Amino acid sequence: MATAVIETLDPKSRAASRGMSDIAIRNLFIIPTIAFLIIFNIFPLLYSLGYSFTDFRASTNAPANFVGLQNYRELLNDPFIWTNFSITAKYVIVSVTGQVVVGFGVALLLNRDIPFKGLITTLLLLPMMLSMAVVGLFWKLLYDPSFGIINHVLGLGTFEWLSNADMALYAVAITDIWMWSPFVMLLSLAGLSAVPKHLYEAAAIDRAGSLYTFFRITLPLVAPILMIAIIFRTMEAFKTFDLAYILTSQPTTEVISIRLYKMAFQEWQTGRSSALAYIVLIMILAITNIYVKYLNKVKER
Amino acid sequence: MAAVKTGAEVAGNRIAIVAVLIITLIFLAPIYWIIATSFKPRNLSTTIPPTIVFTPEISPFVKLFTKRSQLREQPTQEQLDAAPWWERIVLEGGEKVVRDGKGNVQWSAYPNRFMNSLIVAITSTVLAVGMGTITAYGFSRFKVKGEADLLFFILSTRMLPPVVVAIPMFLMYRAVGLNDTHWGLILLYTAFNLSFAVWLMKGFIDEIPKEYEEAALVDGYTRMQAFFKIVIPEAATGIAATAVFCFITAWNEYAFALIMTNRRAQTAPPFIPSQVGSGLPDWTVIAAGTFLFLLPVAIFTFLLRNHLLRGMSFGAIRK
Amino acid sequence: MRSKLTGMLAGIAMTLASGTAAYSQELTIFWAEWDPANYLQELANIYEAETGVKVTVETTPWSDFQTKAFTEFNAKGSAYDMVVGDSQWIGAASEAGHYVDLTEFFNKYKLNETMAPATVKYYAEYPSNSGKYWSVPAEGDAVGWSYRKDWFEDPKEMEAFKAKYGYDLAPPKTWAELRDIAEFFHRPDEKRYGIAIYTDNSYDALVMGVENAIFSYGGELGDYATYKVDGIINSEQNVKALEMYRELYGFTPPGWAKTFFAEDNQAITEGLAAMSMNYFAFFPALVNEASNPNAKGTGFFANPAGPGGEQFAALGGQGISVVSYSENKEESMKFLEWFIKDETQKKWAELGGYTANKAVLESEEFQNATPYNKAFYETMFKVKDFWATPEYAELLIQMNQRLYPYVTAGEGTAKEALDSLAADWNATFKKYNRVQQ
Repeated sequence: MATAVIETLDPKSRAASRGMSDIAIRNLFIIPTIAFLIIFNIFPLLYSLGYSFTDFRASTNAPANFVGLQNYRELLNDPFIWTNFSITAKYVIVSVTGQVVVGFGVALLLNRDIPFKGLITTLLLLPMMLSMAVVGLFWKLLYDPSFGIINHVLGLGTFEWLSNADMALYAVAITDIWMWSPFVMLLSLAGLSAVPKHLYEAAAIDRAGSLYTFFRITLPLVAPILMIAIIFRTMEAFKTFDLAYILTSQPTTEVISIRLYKMAFQEWQTGRSSALAYIVLIMILAITNIYVKYLNKVKER
Repeated sequence: MAAVKTGAEVAGNRIAIVAVLIITLIFLAPIYWIIATSFKPRNLSTTIPPTIVFTPEISPFVKLFTKRSQLREQPTQEQLDAAPWWERIVLEGGEKVVRDGKGNVQWSAYPNRFMNSLIVAITSTVLAVGMGTITAYGFSRFKVKGEADLLFFILSTRMLPPVVVAIPMFLMYRAVGLNDTHWGLILLYTAFNLSFAVWLMKGFIDEIPKEYEEAALVDGYTRMQAFFKIVIPEAATGIAATAVFCFITAWNEYAFALIMTNRRAQTAPPFIPSQVGSGLPDWTVIAAGTFLFLLPVAIFTFLLRNHLLRGMSFGAIRK
Repeated sequence: MRSKLTGMLAGIAMTLASGTAAYSQELTIFWAEWDPANYLQELANIYEAETGVKVTVETTPWSDFQTKAFTEFNAKGSAYDMVVGDSQWIGAASEAGHYVDLTEFFNKYKLNETMAPATVKYYAEYPSNSGKYWSVPAEGDAVGWSYRKDWFEDPKEMEAFKAKYGYDLAPPKTWAELRDIAEFFHRPDEKRYGIAIYTDNSYDALVMGVENAIFSYGGELGDYATYKVDGIINSEQNVKALEMYRELYGFTPPGWAKTFFAEDNQAITEGLAAMSMNYFAFFPALVNEASNPNAKGTGFFANPAGPGGEQFAALGGQGISVVSYSENKEESMKFLEWFIKDETQKKWAELGGYTANKAVLESEEFQNATPYNKAFYETMFKVKDFWATPEYAELLIQMNQRLYPYVTAGEGTAKEALDSLAADWNATFKKYNRVQQ
C-alpha cells in the first residue's frame, strides 16, 4: 500500500527547486503514519485471521489444528451469538440516536451569545473525561435501588434499573448517552457556529418558518461534521464493553464484545474468538463504509 | 443578526439560556456526586436513603495514598495517641498502615500510577497530534494515489475490537520487550489515536485557504517553512481540539493498560477500581482517586476552551 | 515480514525503554486485590526483614485477576515469580506447564500431613488422586454466612417467629430453616430484607452460591473421574436445591441480580438483610466497628445442612504456585520453605490470613481469635469444589448461562435448566475427548 504513494508529482509545485521537493515532503508526511499503523495492525490482523481457521487455544501447549471454516460456520449457526448481535444492534441504535438528539439539541441551545459559554462548555464535557470503568462503577451506585440517588431524587422507590431484564439495556444506554453526548455536542457546535449568519438573515427576510430554516439551512451545513461524530460514536458503541459488563449481568445486555471477551479471555478459545472478531470487524467495516459513502455524498452537495 | 432583536427572539434566548443551565446541572449531578463522595466519611457513602448533607473530611485522600490492611479489632488508645494525624485517620477507619521490612510506611500505588499516566498520556498525545497533523496536511495538499482507500484504512485501524488485538499485541510486545514499559503504552495509544487525529486534522487543514501558502512560496519560503510558519499557526486551534480528544482517550484507557503493563508502567485507570476488591468497597477512596484523576484533564480542557470552540468552528466549514 | 518488523520494534524498544536494573533479590507474588493480599504483604515484609529478599505482592481487581494471570502465563511471561491462583485454575495451569511441579517439595516437607486434607485435595493436587502437587495451600477459604444477631435475639422477633413457624428463632441448622428465616425477615415495607446471596454471572459467584445448596442437598456436579454428568448434575436433589436457591432469591433486597462479596457484605453493614452468604475471607470487615456499624450485632454460622442431613460448602481459597517462566525459581522455593514453617503459618493466621496448616487451625488460639474462625474451621473439613479441568471456564460460562435466567427471572423450570446444562457439559467434554458419547 505504501508504495502506491510515491508516484504522481504535484504539477503546480513551485517549491521543487528550493528545499525538499513536494514529493519528498508528501512522502515524509504520509508514509511514516501509514507504516506505523500497518506495523501495529498487520500482525494482530494476520494472527487473528490465521488462527480463526484453527481450533487453537492460547492457554494450552496443544498444536493448533486447521479446521477450515468450521468456526465461522458454527458461530453463524449459534443462536446465542445472534442474540448478542441483535442486542448490540439495539444498543447502538438507542445509544447513538440518544447521543445525537441530546448532543445536537444542546448544541443548538448553546449556539448563541451566552454568558460564560466557555466555562459551561467545559463543564458539559466533564462526563467524557472520566474512564469507562469508573463511570460504570459509579452509575451502578447511582442506579442502586437501595443506596442510589437516582431513585431517591426521582421518587421511584425501589425501581430496579439494572436487574430488570427489559430496562437494563436502556439503563446502560442512558449512561452511555450521558457520557458521550458532550462529544456530539462539541462537534455539532463547531458545525453550527460555522453556518454563515447571512444565510439566516436571508431566510428571515423571506419570512421562512423556523422549521424550514432548520431543515434547509442548518442541518445540511452541519451534516458533514455531525456525520464524523456519528461514525466514531457508532464504531465505539458497537465495541462497547466496559459499561455493559460492569453495570449489569442480564442476558439481555450481553453485547457482542462481552461474548467475545468471555470466549477469548475466560474460555481461551483463541481460534474461535478470532473468527468471531473477524465477523464483528467485517460488520463494522460494512457499516462504516456505508456511512463514509454517505458522508462523501453529503460533502459533495 | 445586526438588526434589532424582536421581543420573541429575546424571550427565546432567555428560554434557551435557562434550558442550558438546567441541562448542565443534570449533566453535572453525577460528577458532583462523585466529588461529594470523595469528601465523605466512609460510613456515609452508601446509606439508605443517600446522604446529601454531611461534614466534609479528607480521610479518603489520606487512604488513597497509603497502603492499608483491614484490622479486626479496634485500635487501642495508645496506638491512636502514638500515631501521626494521617495514621490516626487510617486507624480510626478500622485499618492500619502497612510498613515494609525496614519499618517504612508503604505508599499506595496511586502516586506512581498517576505519574505513569501523565508520562504516557502526554507523550502519546504529542505523537498522535504531531503525526496526525503532518499526515492530514499531506493528504490535504498533495495528490495521493488511492487517497480515499488510504484514509479508510487509517479509519479502519480503530474498528478492531480491542479484546481481539490484545492477545497478538501482547505476544508481539513480549517478543520485543515492550511489555510493561512506558513506550509500549505510548506507541499503542498513539496508534489508537492516530486515525482520529488524521481525520479531524484533515477537516481543519482542508479549510485553510491554499492561497496563503502559495503566497508564502512566492515570497521565497520553502514548502517546509510555509508549513511551519503559515499552516501550523492557522491550524493551532484545530490542533488544540484534537489534542484534547486524544489526551482524554489516552488518559482513560483501561483494557490495554491492564493487560500490557504491570508494576513498572501501569497507569492509574486499572488501579482506581481496585479498591472494590476488599471485603467492603470503599467508595470514598474510589471517588477520591477518580476526582484527582479528573483534575489534569479538566484543567487541560479548560485552558484550551477558547481554542476548542473557535477551533472547531474553523475546521468544520466547507468552502 | 514479521521478523523484520519485530526487529525494528526491538530496536525502538532498546533505544527508548527506560532501563530499570532488575534487583537480584526481589520476588513478585501475584494475587487479587483483597485483604488477604495485604496480610500476605505484611508477612512478606517479615521475610524481607529476616533475609533481605524483597517480596512484593502485586495485585489486580478480582474481576481482572483471571484474565491478567492467564494472559501472562500464556505468553510465558516472567513478570511473576509466584501466583496465588484460584483452585479451578490448577488443571489448566498444570497441563499447560505454567506451574512448577511441587510434588517433590510436597513430599519432602510432608505437607500432606501438615495441611488440612481438603486444601491439599483441591488447591494442590491435579489430577485428583494422582499424587502430583502443583501448589502449596496458602489461603484456605469457603463460603459461610453472617447474620444479624441483634435481630435474631430481639424478644419480639423471637416470639413472632415461634408463633409463625413453631420453632425457635436461631441461626439455621438446615436450608429449610434458612428459607423460613429469610421469609420471616423479608419486609420490603420496612426496607429490610431476608437474605443476601450471590447472583453475579460474570465469573464464579452465582455458581458458588448454587453449589452451596447443591452440595448440602447431597448433590454433585458430576463424576470428576469419569466426566459423567447426565443424571448427576440434573439429579433430583439438585433440582430441589436449585429451586430452593430460586426461592431464596425472592427474599433478597431489590435489584439483587449482580451481587458478589462486596454487595453481600454491604447487605449486613447497611442493615439491608438478616443473613448474608460470603467467603470467610471477607468477614474481617464485618467485625470491625469502623467498617461495620452493626459489628456488635453481627454473628456467623456455617453453611446449613440439606434435607438429608448432609452438610457441605463451596470452596474458595488458593494455593501458592511457582510460575514456570520465573527467573527466580530457586529464590521462590526458598520463600515457600519459609512460608510453610509452623511459626510462619502461625504468624500468617495472626495477621489475618487463613492458614491451611492443620495444627494452627486446630489450636484454641486460632479458633477463638475471631467470632467466625470456629465456623471456618468446621467448614474447611466439609468443602467441595467446582471442576478443575482445563476447560473449567467453558463449564462455568455454560452453568451461568443456563441458571441465571431461572434464578433471577424465573424463566423455565429448574429441571429444564439443569437438563440443558447436562447436555452442554457433555458436549464440552466430548469436544475435549474426555467422554465418548
